[in-house]
Amino acid sequence: MMIKDFAAFSAVREAGLAKLLPGRPRIAVGMGTCGSGNGAEAVFHAFSSEIDARGLAVQLVPVGCFGFCAEEPLVNVWVPGHPLLILHRVQPNHVDEILNGLGHDQLPPAEILLCKIEEWDHLTGHVKYGTGYADVPRWNEVPFFEGQSKIVLRNCGLINPDDIEEYIAIGGYQALYKVLIDQNPTAVIEQVKAAKLRGRGGAGFLTGSKWEFLAKAPGPEKYLICNADEGDPGAYMNRNEIESDPHSLLEGMMIAGYVTGASKGIIYVRAEYPLAILRLERAIAQARAYGVLGENVLGRGFDFDIEMVEGAGAFVCGEETALIASLENMSGRPRPRPPFPAQKGLYGKPTNINNVETWYNIAPIVSKGPAWFTETGSAKSAGTKVFSLVGKIKNSGLVEMPLGTPLARFIYDIGGGGSGGRDIKAVQTGGPSGGCIPADMFDTPVDYETLQQLGSIMGSGGMVVMDEDNCMVDVARYFIEFTHSESCGKCIPCRVGLDKSLQILNNCTLGTATHADLETLDELCRMVRDTSLCALGTSAPNPVLTSMRHFRHEFEDHIVAKRCRAGVCEDLALSPCENSCPLHMNIPRFLELYKEGRVEDAFLSVILDNPLPASTGRVCQHPCDNRCRRAAIDEPVNMRDVHRRIADEVFLSDKFEGMVARVLKQKFEPTGHQIAVVGAGPTGLTCAYYLALLGHDVTIYDSRPAAGGMLRYALPEYRLPKAVLDKEIELIERLGVKFQFNVNVGEDLTLNDVAHQYDAVFLAIGTWKEAWVYLPGTELTGVIPALPFLEAVSRDDKVPVGKNVVVIGGGNAAVDSARTARRLGADVTIVYRRERKDMPAIPEEIEAAEHEGVKFAYLAAPHRIVGDKDGRVCAIEAVRTKLGEFDTSGRRRPVPTDEVIRMKCDSVILAVGEKVDPDFCAASGLTVKENGTLEVERYSLETSRDRFYAGGDLITGASNVSNAMGIGKKAARNIHKRLMDLEHFPNLLPAFTYEMKPPETPSEFSRHVPGEVPAAQRVQSYAEVSLGLTAAAALEETFRCLRCDVRSVER
Amino acid sequence: MTEKVKVRIDGQVIAATPGQTILQAARDNDKYIPALCYMEGLSAVGACRLCMVEVSGVARLLPACTTPVQEGLAVNTSSPQLQSYRKIALELLFAERNHVCAVCVSSGHCELQTLAQEHGVTYVRYPYNFPKLEVDTTHPKFVLDHNRCILCSRCVRTCAEIEGAHVWDVAGRGIQSRLVSELKRPWGEATSCTSCGKCVQACPTGAMAEKGFGVEEMTKKPAVVGRLTSMRGGR
Amino acid sequence: MSLLDIDEAVVAVLEKADIVFGPLVDAQEWPEDVDVAVIEGAVSSQDDLELAQTARARSKFVIALGDCAVTGNVPSMRNGIPPAKLLERVYVEGATERPGVPTDGVPALLKQAGPLHSAIKVDLHVPGCPPKPEAILFVLGELLEGREPDLGTKLRFG
Repeated sequence: MMIKDFAAFSAVREAGLAKLLPGRPRIAVGMGTCGSGNGAEAVFHAFSSEIDARGLAVQLVPVGCFGFCAEEPLVNVWVPGHPLLILHRVQPNHVDEILNGLGHDQLPPAEILLCKIEEWDHLTGHVKYGTGYADVPRWNEVPFFEGQSKIVLRNCGLINPDDIEEYIAIGGYQALYKVLIDQNPTAVIEQVKAAKLRGRGGAGFLTGSKWEFLAKAPGPEKYLICNADEGDPGAYMNRNEIESDPHSLLEGMMIAGYVTGASKGIIYVRAEYPLAILRLERAIAQARAYGVLGENVLGRGFDFDIEMVEGAGAFVCGEETALIASLENMSGRPRPRPPFPAQKGLYGKPTNINNVETWYNIAPIVSKGPAWFTETGSAKSAGTKVFSLVGKIKNSGLVEMPLGTPLARFIYDIGGGGSGGRDIKAVQTGGPSGGCIPADMFDTPVDYETLQQLGSIMGSGGMVVMDEDNCMVDVARYFIEFTHSESCGKCIPCRVGLDKSLQILNNCTLGTATHADLETLDELCRMVRDTSLCALGTSAPNPVLTSMRHFRHEFEDHIVAKRCRAGVCEDLALSPCENSCPLHMNIPRFLELYKEGRVEDAFLSVILDNPLPASTGRVCQHPCDNRCRRAAIDEPVNMRDVHRRIADEVFLSDKFEGMVARVLKQKFEPTGHQIAVVGAGPTGLTCAYYLALLGHDVTIYDSRPAAGGMLRYALPEYRLPKAVLDKEIELIERLGVKFQFNVNVGEDLTLNDVAHQYDAVFLAIGTWKEAWVYLPGTELTGVIPALPFLEAVSRDDKVPVGKNVVVIGGGNAAVDSARTARRLGADVTIVYRRERKDMPAIPEEIEAAEHEGVKFAYLAAPHRIVGDKDGRVCAIEAVRTKLGEFDTSGRRRPVPTDEVIRMKCDSVILAVGEKVDPDFCAASGLTVKENGTLEVERYSLETSRDRFYAGGDLITGASNVSNAMGIGKKAARNIHKRLMDLEHFPNLLPAFTYEMKPPETPSEFSRHVPGEVPAAQRVQSYAEVSLGLTAAAALEETFRCLRCDVRSVER
Repeated sequence: MTEKVKVRIDGQVIAATPGQTILQAARDNDKYIPALCYMEGLSAVGACRLCMVEVSGVARLLPACTTPVQEGLAVNTSSPQLQSYRKIALELLFAERNHVCAVCVSSGHCELQTLAQEHGVTYVRYPYNFPKLEVDTTHPKFVLDHNRCILCSRCVRTCAEIEGAHVWDVAGRGIQSRLVSELKRPWGEATSCTSCGKCVQACPTGAMAEKGFGVEEMTKKPAVVGRLTSMRGGR
Repeated sequence: MSLLDIDEAVVAVLEKADIVFGPLVDAQEWPEDVDVAVIEGAVSSQDDLELAQTARARSKFVIALGDCAVTGNVPSMRNGIPPAKLLERVYVEGATERPGVPTDGVPALLKQAGPLHSAIKVDLHVPGCPPKPEAILFVLGELLEGREPDLGTKLRFG
């Protein structure tokens, strides 16, 4: 039906409205590429055949995507007079129930019901669906949609993209009609200029100004080009826009055609978008058939036609001059500007190029005016931008947000934070040539200027979220590999500069690069950025430059320590578990040795990697669990409990003597060097152990009467029996390490004294100073800091805690204190200001505390401790908190409410953290950092004083046992290297031969967890709670290992 | 006679013709700006980036070969940063292919070699690619040695714009870009080649040479291209 | 051997410095605490590599002299061919008598021949094939005076 006058236009509009809001239920299935990829086709067919079979009066249509890609397939269900319901994760088996509910006022199943829309502002028109369903949230009450502002995506997922009548029904082509009737091109250009609409392809040039250039360019022949060559990995907004709402694009181009005097539009769409191409083809054909496109548009005497050209997918064709070259059948290489396309473009004629998304803003600006448009967005960047939120994020999808929205809102509010609850490290904006912005800068507003200041770009709006499993060196390498392979090769900086950058980055990931290489890389990237011919080259170095700026330490780790913390760079790690282990234990090796029945070899492998395997086997935070690839099949291998088993089999049996002899055999010839270690905690013991093995004469000083530090004095007996620890320390002592107890270095013995007597000194006194909270009432009797409390109990001192105990804190010390207080017979409540999932304590320990009857008050911030007239604690008051904005750690900040909770109690245990003893640091004369820890060289661990090294909590602040031991091990290696000028560390291990073969198929065994003493029984005593793995269970556990350490298998 | 515009180049005011590029104006006034892909008489492509200059008031660096002059333009052609970037670009070219000057017919007459010397390039800090490249000896008179090609495309433009034969083009992309004759036919089999030899004269290095010359013996007459263009009225 | 290109000037140099290792003297082993090492030639074999490393470890200032040491030059022209294939080509296919790849007393070829600075840190590069005698003399003169030579734009490859 050709539309030649307003009556015809209105008739089409009415016909469209009758489809959009028919007199019967309407079901619309989201069938963009994202929906289809998640099974929308099957859902559509299920609806179709079921509706036919039942002979239902239901209208079924395909629509585009509503944006929430993580929740596809999305389905809209509308019953006349009611709100439109959006259903998510719909499967064919839901179809029955959905259809049954129609017309019976029955809601679809709750698990697929996402939200409702009562009315929708299409900006060019308004649709009222109906009211009701009080219990169903409105669409913008769903966190993913909250704050989104749909201008570009105004029609997506709501109208049938294949039906021009539905588009006209929601006010489509009205803006065009208006422009054709008004006949005032200059006014329209002024409107677009006043709206401050900027190019959405990334460069951000003012669209109105570009149009003005074209309008003023002479000649009858002018071209408009829509750049739909979306090529960024991870960005797909253009595809979605075209697939969901092709007519808005056509309308935008036609308005521009009229006001700039162009009569031909070309849509350059990438060939890899078959669905978008199909829908565009249909839209163009329909527009022609309805007289909206072609000659005499809408009967107003304006001729305009649009042609679609498929691009072969060269990234560089996103650059306008390369795109034009490609359209002219030449190879897609950019040329310098000037001349600009507006002067000399396609076939030498004036040409204007805009990105897909830019065109989508035109009709609303014309309909609602520039003032309305500038209400949204920031001062310099008006309107919205569609972003594709992808990567390590919980809710991925397309989000349309006002420009200037802080990154944190995208990542945490809309995206819901890291996938799997992991910490987010950075986000990369703007596609492969964007920059990486670290999490602590997430308050950055997203607009053209700010992103550029940070070394990134808006680009097409890709947002790739990265977490701790992403190696930033590898990320930089990956993106350079991409841009390097997409470089057209015309200019030297991009062609050869990126090639050389890639080579250096490859060397970084192999660990073979040097500091000088990093400088060369930095300079080279700046040169490529500043001198390349087109935007591909000038922006390609962004990922490298920003990663080197914000994640310099990761580059250093790769080239100095030869470590990739994320475990991505394979050449720098044995296996993910080994890489995650602070002690870098060769875990696959001891598993295999145990599996082969070689318990003693397994023990030797373990003990040479980790001098306290029985203790760490009980209390380690087991980061290996988080990295184990077996988790992708079922659950991680229980590595920690296997090495505990191996250790126990030796330490607690007659094998001990034999193993002591075998370890002693590994000891090097005496070197004659005397080394002092200050602090007999896990760090000091580890360092001393390795130094002794390396042939040095080591003496450990400690202020307490026995060795073990926190392991002995802070860890309760029920977690780590002292008998076990004693055996481990005995082995260290028999290696020749001497102990000097009850000596306070700094007081009884000055550092100068130590310096005179020894060739090197290692300081590892730990964090024994309780961090104090400034809370009214902490001076009252009955307020006890956690460490002295745990220490007193460990010494069997009588600690009267009374009937009711409140523990403040959320770390391991808090949970240990609570469980210990339970064993003293008290009723215990842990008060923590955030939620359970935010507690830093080991999850298993929290669970065990719950079993033992410890109560938890979450979201409660202690506010004061109340005393009785005798100055004794009698109660505690806490303010109920609610979760507010996300902080830079990615956790919601607790915000106090008016509600105050009061708990009666007899004692309060403060477990709010420990810190380094400031008196010791001050007295040491060594350089201290702002946070109170000692300053050391990051890799060598040397302090500001020659031959003085420091490690453990003294340099990191309160950490955990394995981290502290890892540092002790590193210190030993460095001290030895310094004293001997030789790297001997690898020689400590005998050559083990064992099977290097991964299992053909993963073993069927599931993860074994050690048995425990029943909760009721264990609160009666201090006996160890965990029973450990049985030999059989440990053996089965070793079969579960996938042997990631095996790199190649001979066939 | 059109009105001249005043342009300041490295502090010195010169008079330039409107429509001229910075590079042309500078050369007309004996101001030196290095360039490899630019050649008088050919269209400018802005590929080598050696002629990048600083223009006051513009944050970015601009290629002198394609940036038109404007009244009052102030240009700095040799800041330390520009010099350092030019040095990098030259080193990148040496690292890209196998430029063994010691065995090259053009040694001593090579623009790349000369520019390297002018910029104090005594070694290449980037790892050499050492690619395995062909030497096309199929043409009876000329030889094309890809080891020495810097992809400046002067031969491509000379052939297309002056001779009108369009034998040459650049195929492939990125570091894999290669000069090709016709549709990757050997030069000797290229039917459209008129054997005029102007591409050889336009080539700044020893990549294209006449047969029969030994090391250091091949001197070229690049001025022929500019002369032909001006004889044709600058088209 | 380019050193000898400086002709009689070598005498003046010898008055101020000792030549402690090289083709001109008998020393078999690179001595400790050398002030200046002047190294010619590309790093092409395992022996070259080890010698370069020793020289670096025992010398304060290392000069790469000549295009081979500076760029890899002619020796690097074999880099497109794998060593085994190269040896086969020369000693088997190309041999007129007694074909066979020599194995005794011949150092193993590295995968590629490269410039000296691809193997060790180099303090000064003096390109040229051959390097100009006056440049050599200038460099040695400056070093003997305790200055770091600034070659500026004096030298070119080839």
